[in-house]
Amino acid sequence: MILEMNGIKKSFGDLEVLKDISFNVDSGEVVSVIGPSGSGKSTLLRCATFLETVDAGQITYMGRSAVTTTSEGRAHYVPHAELNQIKRYFGLVFQQFNLFPHYSVLKNITDAPIHVQKRPKDEVRAEAMELLRKMNLENRADAYPCQLSGGQQQRVAIARALALKPEILFFDEPTSALDPELTGEVLKVIRQLAEEKMTMVVVTHEMPFARAVSNRVIFMDKGVIVEQGDPEEVFGNPKQERTVQFLRNYQR
Amino acid sequence: MKKKIALIMAMMMIPASLMGCGQSAAPTTAAEPAATETTAADAAVEDTAADSGAQYVFLDEDLGVESYAIGFRVGDEELAETVSGAVQALVLNGTYDEIGEKYPDIKDYLCLTADDIDASTLPEEGSGDPNFTFKHGFDLDYPPYSYRQDDASVGGFDVELCQAVCDYLGWGYEPVPFNWDAKDMELNAGSCDCIWSGFTKEGREDDYTWGITYSNNTQGILVPADSDIKTLADLSGKIVGVQTATSAYDMLEDSQKELADTFAELRVYETYTIAYNDLKAGAIDAIAIDMTAGSFLIADDNA
Amino acid sequence: MTLSTMLSAMGEGMLRSCAIFFLTILFSMPLGMVIMFLRRSRLKLVSGITKIYIAIMRGTPLMLQLLMWYFGPYYLFGMSIRGYRFPAIIIGFSMNYAAYFAEIYRGGMETIPQGQYEAAEVLGYSKTQTFFKIILPQVIKAILPSVTNEIITLVKDTSLAFTLAYNEMFSLAKQIAASQTSFTPFIIAGVFYFIANYAVAFAMERIEKALDYYK
Repeated sequence: MILEMNGIKKSFGDLEVLKDISFNVDSGEVVSVIGPSGSGKSTLLRCATFLETVDAGQITYMGRSAVTTTSEGRAHYVPHAELNQIKRYFGLVFQQFNLFPHYSVLKNITDAPIHVQKRPKDEVRAEAMELLRKMNLENRADAYPCQLSGGQQQRVAIARALALKPEILFFDEPTSALDPELTGEVLKVIRQLAEEKMTMVVVTHEMPFARAVSNRVIFMDKGVIVEQGDPEEVFGNPKQERTVQFLRNYQR
Repeated sequence: MKKKIALIMAMMMIPASLMGCGQSAAPTTAAEPAATETTAADAAVEDTAADSGAQYVFLDEDLGVESYAIGFRVGDEELAETVSGAVQALVLNGTYDEIGEKYPDIKDYLCLTADDIDASTLPEEGSGDPNFTFKHGFDLDYPPYSYRQDDASVGGFDVELCQAVCDYLGWGYEPVPFNWDAKDMELNAGSCDCIWSGFTKEGREDDYTWGITYSNNTQGILVPADSDIKTLADLSGKIVGVQTATSAYDMLEDSQKELADTFAELRVYETYTIAYNDLKAGAIDAIAIDMTAGSFLIADDNA
Repeated sequence: MTLSTMLSAMGEGMLRSCAIFFLTILFSMPLGMVIMFLRRSRLKLVSGITKIYIAIMRGTPLMLQLLMWYFGPYYLFGMSIRGYRFPAIIIGFSMNYAAYFAEIYRGGMETIPQGQYEAAEVLGYSKTQTFFKIILPQVIKAILPSVTNEIITLVKDTSLAFTLAYNEMFSLAKQIAASQTSFTPFIIAGVFYFIANYAVAFAMERIEKALDYYK
């Protein structure tokens, strides 16, 4: 098991965004998380990547505990040093790419492996070039993010996340900020990663993609997991009324 | 766009600066190389000035007389007495008049004469503590008492006299030019030992321990020679310029307040230089100023 | 006084103006950074005090502040202020400009999207690395135009050192103008200030251009 999340609760003020969510990801799994906006699916991802702190629950990566719940029912994070170690297990691709605009494409990818993981420069650069080739961007290594299209930027962002060799890669609506004609190139890359058995969790609105690529689909609404299972099951034969309604709205 | 504006500004400034040199600097320094046209123009101006005599004159009536003395921190009686004694000794040995000769604008206003001095009470030459350095506080904007000389060095009547006092007593001399508005802070904080810079005693009797009065001065009204202002009464409805924090200003705010109230405006300037330029340009009708500073101001134009 | 005497005297004054200028830049820019962090502090007391400090520095005339820095030690603590004139000027200018720079930096920090911090955090950068490698370079680019403005203002503000009778260029211009009853020194001073500011604007434009490679 790569990621285990149990009994996750998260509120913003009076608004309960995650209501006791449990969620596991196995090695090699590709999980799609779908649901209406405000359902809590992005918050779930941000909690999993420690960008938000949970109020209660447990989070464990690769068997190493990152968050436990005290006897009073409050979340307790492990010390900073341990948390930093655990952070190395995952990568995150943002909706808005969040590339560093002042770094070239290559430096965006190599800087963290060199300066955070302290790996040898030459090795990192060679790997980065390999990743760029995979992203079909090997000729843009020296370009700056502002010179790239949205789809190209997102592919660089994926390469940047992969360069740290994570065990699991999270995608937070990776194509939502893109023009429709550019989503294809990003989805193609994710599909390719799925074929290579990369463990991934993708929060997405792209239903056909979720259906075609993932091993498991999770439908979230109002802070709870309403339904989950095989994509053909969830899409083809949804059990819950809310899922049916959501998918119907989507098809129109 | 930016560059164009910069260029235009630069082009505007260059002729302006050349004109500035021609108008004011050239007449004072005949040896200075200047463009031929400018020299010719200046010569013409000087000719007309010579024909009509002085360009700027003082009214016969004055605003009042005041005395220039050396101001010390309240309580510094001993220092005041020593310095005053040394000044008198310099009167007796002729140094005082010697220095006065160099400053024609001041000469007539020097008020100390050997006849009034009792030589027996004065400090001996070289009797001062050789380790003591006397810090002379003065304003460098106040010719001819303390100002930048033609060679850009610090000088003036007060500076030379103070130096002579230190030499006489065997003290070290340290010039401390200060900003006139901050003179009291400088004195009280000890960055200087005295205020000695054409410093008027009247109205400030209790604010300092006063040393000797070494010069008198008369506050007067400076007008263009061809002005229709001939008496103080003619100033009614006119614009009069004065420099801030000067005795002339103080008088117009105090003893001559009634006169000042008849003016259309009493315009207060940061320096007399600017006021004088306004007078030349016709922006004001007269300047209230002490006679020595005023004589110095108009010397070039009346030459 | 010949023009060359005037120019050389004022040139000396200009060197003093330059000393004020460069030392102020040297101290106020890093100090502004510290003040900016204090201003952004989550501790209410710290950010509150910093806020008051900035309000005072920006809300009172620099001339007054210079007098305070110079005479303050004597009037408050009875300390001797001999030889303290120049340091007081540098302290006065630096403390004042640091307040302005702090606010410029703060404005620059606010232009950086939250996503940059989040990306850096997920990639494992430490707080220090995030600031110096990711945030600061972008802040610098964002604030350059305001910084240029501020530096140009400083060039002209050096003339306020006349308050403490430090014979920088403008004081000399005033003194020579008084002794020569001439306007020329002011025009020379104007040309000097203009050239200095033109050089500053030129240098800053070059820096801006150098950072133009990204948006």
